[in-house]
Amino acid sequence: MPTTAFSHTVEQAEQAGRMPTRRTVTVTDVHELAPGIVRFTFRDEFIARNVKPAQFVNLYSSNPQHLMPRPFGVSDVDGDKVSLIFAVVGYGTEEFATLKAGDHVDVLGPLGKPFDISADADYLLVGGGLGIPPLLETAQALAGRADCRALAVLGYRREHFADVYAAKYADEVHSIDESEGNVLTLLERLWPKLQEGGRELIILSCGPTPMMKAVAEWAAKRGVDAQLCMEQRMGCGYGTCVACTVDTRDGREKVCEAGPVFTAHQLGWDNK
Amino acid sequence: MNIEQELNETPTNLYAPHEWRHGTVVAGVPWKNPVGTASGTFNVDACGQFYDVAQLGSVTTKGVSPVEWLGNPGVRTAESPAGTVNAVGLQNPGVDHYLEYDLPKLKGLGATVVANVAGHCDDDYAQVVEKLADSAADMLEINVSCPNVTHGGMSVGTDPVALGRLMDRLRPMTNKPMIVKLTPNVTDIAAIARAAAEGGADCLSMINTLVGMRIDIRTGEPIIANRTGGVSGPCVFPVGLACVWRVRAALPDIPIIGIGGIDSGEKALEYLYAGANAVEVGGAALYDPTAPIRVARELEELLDARPELTEKLAKGDTWR
Repeated sequence: MPTTAFSHTVEQAEQAGRMPTRRTVTVTDVHELAPGIVRFTFRDEFIARNVKPAQFVNLYSSNPQHLMPRPFGVSDVDGDKVSLIFAVVGYGTEEFATLKAGDHVDVLGPLGKPFDISADADYLLVGGGLGIPPLLETAQALAGRADCRALAVLGYRREHFADVYAAKYADEVHSIDESEGNVLTLLERLWPKLQEGGRELIILSCGPTPMMKAVAEWAAKRGVDAQLCMEQRMGCGYGTCVACTVDTRDGREKVCEAGPVFTAHQLGWDNK
Repeated sequence: MNIEQELNETPTNLYAPHEWRHGTVVAGVPWKNPVGTASGTFNVDACGQFYDVAQLGSVTTKGVSPVEWLGNPGVRTAESPAGTVNAVGLQNPGVDHYLEYDLPKLKGLGATVVANVAGHCDDDYAQVVEKLADSAADMLEINVSCPNVTHGGMSVGTDPVALGRLMDRLRPMTNKPMIVKLTPNVTDIAAIARAAAEGGADCLSMINTLVGMRIDIRTGEPIIANRTGGVSGPCVFPVGLACVWRVRAALPDIPIIGIGGIDSGEKALEYLYAGANAVEVGGAALYDPTAPIRVARELEELLDARPELTEKLAKGDTWR
């Protein structure tokens, strides 16, 4: 970012009725949860106050060669601190993973359309691997709702890196790794008991696309509504560049703006 | 005095109401400052949440086609050194939607609007221009330079004969100022610029993106589904600047909008010194949503100390 004589604080933006733009924040903690998987925490009161389940934030590299944002789902908030969990997959995530408490990073957000958790229901939070973090934030949002239950159904490749965070907020945590099966194995196991309560069930899912598609189809067969938090390679992350599209029944939509949450019906994954 | 000293030392609130001091005139249309947005990087809803779009010299909207276009399949974007490669393929909901939604919304907000016109063939361009001819758009920009569509786009903008034929068709259809947006992917951009001018273009904008690509070394295959895309970002800045310089040398009188890699007031000023009447901010908005308005304010501070330049801009003249 070039030197500029123009400030754009969050307070100034809010006073002007605008969404705060990209800004520099302070990192408070970075640590590894499992090999190559990092929990990254920074301080941003605006995001902490406003973020809703499945919304994401952009992080920006400090290297002027690497300009494009990296989008990450928020995993939880604590006061004015915002946490993300991501895997180190390239030079961007590698740079963020090496930051230390007290370092600075540029962020934008919160971005995207959240899960709809307005119904009083039992929510099945079905996550796979690095798709789990947005569901942790969802569990956190549901934890304050006496009329809702959050049941986390989590699938991992190996290490169950997010169970400890899910347990903080969810009413139940069921997890599995590839040595035993996947989230569908767990859903099948849980299904008889889930039917007993007679409560409305809603699936909120995030993970690899084939997993979410299988979960949506599983849900459709049982008459359960599903919302899926999609991933696509993004450009701007705020709806202007039209890089991150997904085909839906409503047409070709931007994942960053119309999503990342889409219903199984929108995606045509409900067999209807 | 160096550039940093020239800029205010006390940070100024970017969101505060502002009276612009240095306007420009582009093909007879007054812009309240010399900075606009580049097509394909501006959407009224996405950008309007961050800043007041009416504060810019103009906004150029994303290319509109006669009917909805779905664009290219994903993956559509890949980072490149100091830039990005993208191949959206002009996805847009079509000109009718534009006339019902985007254009009235932008005019309602008080923006000066440049409507970018896309087509796969001459008939497509003509259909869009016909619908925009009496619209509220302030200017039309004919996009003959998109590298990511198989027909139309850059195939017209790299061929002076094809461009001349298209202009013969479009020019009589409207009195609105008509901008032709040029591609840098040619041997002699001045020859294309001349064909546009002779065909009746009121103004030229340059540059559109450069053809480029990235390959995923894990698979050995291109990252972008379209294989190649258009490169934009700070890496193209010197290319765009040289294109403006060359075209200004060849065509001393035609208005020029300089585009390519502008992410600061200083870079915008270089374009004005190269002979542009105005500039547009494109790729920078993808990683800094308020970049266009910030660049406009930075440029204004720099122009305060350059009355000999601002006098020319205010009259519709240029430095060169």
